[in-house]
Amino acid sequence: MIIRNHPSVLVFLILLGLFTLGVTLMSEATGTAMLSTSFVKTLGKTLCLALVAIAMDLVWGYCGILSLGHFAFFGLGGYMIGMWLMYARTEAIVANAAAAEALPPTPQELSDSIGSQIFGVVGGSDIPVVWTFAHSLPLQLALVVLVPGVLALVFGWLAFRSRVAGVYLSILTQAMTLALSLYLFQNDSGLRGNNGLSGLQNIPGWEDVPQSVVSLRFFWASAAALALAYVFSAWMVAGKFGSVVRGIRDDEARVRFLGYNVEAYKLTVFTVTAIIAGIAGALYYPQAGIINPAEIAPIASIYLAVWVAIGGRGRLYGAVVGAAFVSLVSTWFTGGQAPDINLGFYTIKWVDWWTVLLGLSFILVTLFAPKGMGGLVDLIEHRRAPDRHGADLGPDKGSFREAEQQ
Amino acid sequence: MTTLLEVQGISVSFDGFKAINDLSFEIGAAELRAIIGPNGAGKTTFMDIVTGKTRPDEGAIVWGERNVNLLRMNESAIARAGIGRKFQRPTVFEDQSVFDNLLMALNNKRSPLRVLLYKRTRTDAERVRDLAAEIGLEDALDRRAGILSHGQKQWLEIGMLLAQEPRLLLVDEPAAGMTKAERDRTVALLRRAARTRSVIDVEHDMDFVRKLDCKVTVLHEGAVLAEGSLDHVTRDQQVIDVYLGR
Repeated sequence: MIIRNHPSVLVFLILLGLFTLGVTLMSEATGTAMLSTSFVKTLGKTLCLALVAIAMDLVWGYCGILSLGHFAFFGLGGYMIGMWLMYARTEAIVANAAAAEALPPTPQELSDSIGSQIFGVVGGSDIPVVWTFAHSLPLQLALVVLVPGVLALVFGWLAFRSRVAGVYLSILTQAMTLALSLYLFQNDSGLRGNNGLSGLQNIPGWEDVPQSVVSLRFFWASAAALALAYVFSAWMVAGKFGSVVRGIRDDEARVRFLGYNVEAYKLTVFTVTAIIAGIAGALYYPQAGIINPAEIAPIASIYLAVWVAIGGRGRLYGAVVGAAFVSLVSTWFTGGQAPDINLGFYTIKWVDWWTVLLGLSFILVTLFAPKGMGGLVDLIEHRRAPDRHGADLGPDKGSFREAEQQ
Repeated sequence: MTTLLEVQGISVSFDGFKAINDLSFEIGAAELRAIIGPNGAGKTTFMDIVTGKTRPDEGAIVWGERNVNLLRMNESAIARAGIGRKFQRPTVFEDQSVFDNLLMALNNKRSPLRVLLYKRTRTDAERVRDLAAEIGLEDALDRRAGILSHGQKQWLEIGMLLAQEPRLLLVDEPAAGMTKAERDRTVALLRRAARTRSVIDVEHDMDFVRKLDCKVTVLHEGAVLAEGSLDHVTRDQQVIDVYLGR
């Protein structure tokens, strides 16, 4: 139904499928090895960023809530999966080492040993309370959804019921992100302070699987998650729900006087997108290998808004294109691959100047192409639209002319 | 005639200025009423209070047969209880089609989950088409609301109000900025609507009120100054002094 009414969904799924197939055929594990394993990981991570960008587009582009906190939910998802990855792997290593000893270790010894392995770096050896479920993959997977979801639900409920909106809400979400990041930076937060969680690329149980295969598996998982989230989001915004949500973006008071509980809708969208962001983070960080509190810093959420704005908000493929394009170009510039420009008196080093370029393009897009890169699609489609030679669209003189419609 | 809405002695002040001062007001079921008054008489504040946008400092508002106190409810709950409001400036969702605008307003379940799982039924589509015919937009269903003319937007908003199936419609200067033909059509629309439900029209334009041909309430300084037929209130010396004479 969704695909029939919204051909862009089908186009997106076909393109994503072709891309996945192409990468698979060119990867080291299953193909011609034209793409290095680290580049496959970069592409997989890019798909996760596109996924969180869809969440951002839903909450900002469709519902009009400029959240500067969705990267915090992304990071929390990463932390939740990272805890299991680290615990399970350390447990295996400790058990291995203990197997060589004459006496089998008691559970207490095992636990102490894991504790000092993981938390020695922050001067501790006890396993903190937040790691209670870290031994269990299903429970940590549930937390990937629950922790960002519940945080968004509580935070959103408090904010929306007090009718905090607009720029004040943005500031509030940013404050939440900053507070969370600062808390995680502390050594006694129980999540290894500024060291973060590391070694996440080593998947427990997959010890014999080479990284080239692991990278491809995560790439597939990311592509599948992106496809699912895209179809789900398209379904969500296509029907009456989307109609109400866009109504809230354009005129909140009107929707309220139509009898809709605006706060409940905002809370729904905020929470659902936080969960999507958490899932994206849980897929991203095993590919990145490390997560630390700097990932949750407010600047990350601002980047997220910039991606969606450059890609074109209010359309799902715009978010995907913006996130993929900007993050890949960013990797290119900051990875030292872009050639420096020698002006004679000054050499432009892109590693330093890339953020300036990004900031400038954000300003230019906002001023001159508010629809972002997605606006290019409109340009192509307009050429196909019937040309009415400027005849008016409505029956009255007062109505807009064709040229004014957009 | 049974009373649908009873406003009992409400007062509200903003920064010491009494916008509404011990105002009492009543409207019966299926009654058409015009509220007039000079600028600053409290007309819009009155609507804000009835629809829950502004909380009064004192007084009560009693609604319906079961005598519900509206002051305990928020805007959306009041709207669901059966009070529809039309703003002075036409506020329709310009980004969406006329059909979607009307569909959103239809009197269906409004919780997020129910709306998410909502499937458009044939009866609902039929109902939207009937409403569009009522407001003269049956050929514009697929058009984006943003490209409608000013008058058409006003009608669309009235159509959205009717779609809510409210028992009381509050309309704020619906004819502002309309051509003469459009105004006549709006009068007919409101009079038709008032056959089955109550309509309160907050109005500035005497000529429009005369065409509505209904009972008139004159507000002044946040209180009722006079009430009765248009001829009755225009002969009232106080009304002439504060309003018509100027």
